[in-house]
Amino acid sequence: MSDESNSGDCALTADESTVERSTVPMWIVVFTLILLFVGGIYFDRHSGWFNPQVYGSFSSAEQLEAYQPKSGAAAARAHGKVVYEAVCGICHGLDGRGKPGQAPALAGSEWVLTKGINRLAHIPLQGVSGVIRVEGQDWNLNMAAMGAALPDEDLAGVLSYIRSAWGNQAGTVTADDIKKIRAEMGKSVQPMSGQQIMSLPD
Amino acid sequence: MKTGIGIFFATVFALGASWCGLVLAPTLQLGGAKLETVLNSTDTYPVQRTGDATLGLQIYRANGCAACHTEQVRQDGVACEVSLTGLGNNPPDGFKKFLQSIETLPEWQDHSKELSAAFATWDGTLPKVVIAWTDKDSADKMADLLKAAGCKSESRIYAFGPDIARDWGVRHSVAADFLYDNPVQLGSLRAGPDLANVGVRMGDANIQLQHLYAPQAGAKNSTMPAFRYLFEVKKIGDAPSPDAVKLPKEFAPAADYEVVPKPEARQLVAYLLSLRANVPLYEAPFTPVISAKP
Repeated sequence: MSDESNSGDCALTADESTVERSTVPMWIVVFTLILLFVGGIYFDRHSGWFNPQVYGSFSSAEQLEAYQPKSGAAAARAHGKVVYEAVCGICHGLDGRGKPGQAPALAGSEWVLTKGINRLAHIPLQGVSGVIRVEGQDWNLNMAAMGAALPDEDLAGVLSYIRSAWGNQAGTVTADDIKKIRAEMGKSVQPMSGQQIMSLPD
Repeated sequence: MKTGIGIFFATVFALGASWCGLVLAPTLQLGGAKLETVLNSTDTYPVQRTGDATLGLQIYRANGCAACHTEQVRQDGVACEVSLTGLGNNPPDGFKKFLQSIETLPEWQDHSKELSAAFATWDGTLPKVVIAWTDKDSADKMADLLKAAGCKSESRIYAFGPDIARDWGVRHSVAADFLYDNPVQLGSLRAGPDLANVGVRMGDANIQLQHLYAPQAGAKNSTMPAFRYLFEVKKIGDAPSPDAVKLPKEFAPAADYEVVPKPEARQLVAYLLSLRANVPLYEAPFTPVISAKP
């Protein structure tokens, strides 16, 4: 330490800056408030209020609710797919191509792509026994009345599904259609052959 | 150290605030995640993995698959589409006139060009998309109008975004997709494609094994390393192994050798095949498309 370093202590000179109390400039206050306001609006519009079910592309629980698919033909087919995979898919295949020695194909089958649905509905409701000709091939197998125990909505969904899946393009089936057919055929369940089904009205 | 207490409390506050934001808040938000019900069905989601697939997650983790693959699909939004499925008693020309009368209404101004373009060359084939890329309100209004006119229509909700356009999924990933994952392998880098739906896209076990043994067999320019230590190249014994991987000629081993997957490879493939995030859920609604492919 030299002597000089101690020599000039303390005395303030006139041009040296000093710390004074000063107020925050008004523009900073206003700017911060504007930022908070805009942020609040953004939060309100986009946060979904931290609802665990509201993800990025939705902005609120109300909007998510509005976009829930309503029941309708598409919903019935989606439901029918579920029933099909549980009840029918085991033999007819999830791809609708059937399985050799077990069940004929439904994709492109003339029994599925019918104008009316009376004959088609008789197959799951009554079952099949004896020879049935599908796409030029004779099948001699027994099918139980798999649809007899299903509710009208489920069976209608399944039929709508098989008529629209795998490239099939035929009309949808409603629960009312199935109800009507059920009422006409009565309570007896009697497996039918292909010829017997053909003799029914379409 | 007269500011020691102050520094202590500042540290507690800083660490506590990040703990609240990163641990407490997510736990409160998603910690109670449960099995969900698939929309319009009684099925629950997700499906519990098989034992092999559960072990496969650990193989996936051990091999660092998450370093180059993600398991999260993103979407930009949802849109609605209304298509005409039946004309009722209306002739096609009458229907066109009906649409022209709609186009002039103020609420359909935005769609008038789209409507006239869609039906300019229409020859009466059904189903025919009436409006697409629209919001729920417009779609509902259009469906009501069509119903009032005696026509049948169907509305469809679909998600869109770059990931969905790449066919990596049909909806955004949600927390429920990862309910059985421990640890969750979200990934953050996409050197390879997203795997959230790889079990749907590439459902064949042999193709998956082939991809692990020789990635370039399926995708010529793939930068993925080959995971050959998950396989055994063996001399064919009395009979070829039924588990042997079927490989294209240029990747196949010498004539009397075969490539047999070790248990690790089979478990990893079981895990990959279990990645199927393709059902509609409440928080990710869409109308499933019934595949037109047989």
